[in-house]
Amino acid sequence: MKGLLIKDIRLMKVQRSFFILIYAVGVGLALFTEDSTYAVGFPTFVISLFTVSTISYDEFDNGNAFLFSLPITRKGYVAEKYCLGILLGGSAWLLSSAVVLIAGTARGMGSAGDICLAAASVLPLMLLLLAVMLPVQLKFGAEKGRVAILIALACIILIGSAGIKTAEMLHIDIVALLDTMPVPGLGAVLAAALLTALLLLAVSAGISTAVMKRKQF
Amino acid sequence: MLEINGLKKRYGDFTLDCTMSVEAGRITGLVGQNGAGKSTIFKSVLGLIGTDGGSIRVFEKEAEDLTVSDRRKIGVVLADSGFSGYLTVRDIIPVLANLYADFDRAYFEKQVQRFELPLRKKIKEFSTGMKAKLKVLTAASVNAKLLLLDEPTVGLDVIARDELLEILRDFMEKDENRAILISSHISGDLESLCDDLYMIHAGQIVLHEDTDVLLSDYGLLKVDEKQYAGLDRRYLMRVRKEPYGYSCLTNQKRYYMENYPGIAVETGSIDETIAMMVRGQEA
Repeated sequence: MKGLLIKDIRLMKVQRSFFILIYAVGVGLALFTEDSTYAVGFPTFVISLFTVSTISYDEFDNGNAFLFSLPITRKGYVAEKYCLGILLGGSAWLLSSAVVLIAGTARGMGSAGDICLAAASVLPLMLLLLAVMLPVQLKFGAEKGRVAILIALACIILIGSAGIKTAEMLHIDIVALLDTMPVPGLGAVLAAALLTALLLLAVSAGISTAVMKRKQF
Repeated sequence: MLEINGLKKRYGDFTLDCTMSVEAGRITGLVGQNGAGKSTIFKSVLGLIGTDGGSIRVFEKEAEDLTVSDRRKIGVVLADSGFSGYLTVRDIIPVLANLYADFDRAYFEKQVQRFELPLRKKIKEFSTGMKAKLKVLTAASVNAKLLLLDEPTVGLDVIARDELLEILRDFMEKDENRAILISSHISGDLESLCDDLYMIHAGQIVLHEDTDVLLSDYGLLKVDEKQYAGLDRRYLMRVRKEPYGYSCLTNQKRYYMENYPGIAVETGSIDETIAMMVRGQEA
């Protein structure tokens, strides 16, 4: 796995100016926006998705045929992509959370606890994003993958909207419910969300392995 | 080292049906036209494609049972695939060092310098010759027991081809238990390198012979109608009608030279032998 990780990190060198730009935007958001979740989420999501671009680089010019003739397994390849996603997303999340915490505290945007909770809410979403994007990219490739992602996003939005509508019909105000929830309660919700996201990520890795095992090069 | 028995793979109208083996200490060539099935054999051995029957054994194990550690003993060149074009030679050195426990970094770097391959240039910007050299160098640097080389010389000029063949001879000299399976659609590349040759056409192995025997005992007899009528046909493998009479492929060239001094006997090239095996009729 280490060899594959080195390969992907070297491949990402190609996009280093884009990396710097994303971090610059992230710092800008931390300094000028009031929304801590967005300031942490933007760089975290975009940088974790660099994993998806490494899959495209692997596929470039029929590169997968040679890649899978190297001493690696298809399961190992999938595991490496998930590790890379977590490493990239996790480090971007840590860095942007630190910047937002420092900037937010300096600007008096709220307590450190509130900012930390806002930052923590990004983590399960990042894992969820990887859980959806990686199998789709591995199954459909760069071109068809985009269409598949759009369809998946549309489905998520539809399901979300349906959930909100249902809550409205039942006279439940979700935002108010979260606002009134004590911080320890929110922490428990986030921990549950994180566990669920990790579980979904594990299921997603299983699907990705099955997809890769069926692929022919 | 490698045994393929009744390997079958179907693509629409094309059917590969192949039985062959590669012995330790030998360089085995696979010659055939584009589309004959050479790459399909390589991809099947490497598990890159599924097969429709038969068995493939590598290092006395079923190919699907090979572990990562076994696969470290196989060096590979594929005709249509290599390291990502976005990487540089400098990038691939640590990748190889981490994937192959026995990667010979010093040898690789020395050869990269010898062949003047740029370290910091993206591989996609390399010339065809540079890409081919890098692929062969990579395969030869991992201290493999078996090299599987699919069209490693494609698109190369004569000098670059000779340089690559020299790398392969060096590879074999270092350890007598190593083996190479190399394919090409240019038989001349393999004539001087291989110990034995398999000829493949339309998915079928049409001939297997030691290269020495092929070059010394095989020949083409050029005969007119009258000469053909009086010819002993026991040692004729294929016959083809020609405007002047018949062209006959034999694997007993000397027999005809000694017993039929009046007929023209040519030392056929490997290409001519393939052409006869494919287009000629059984005598």
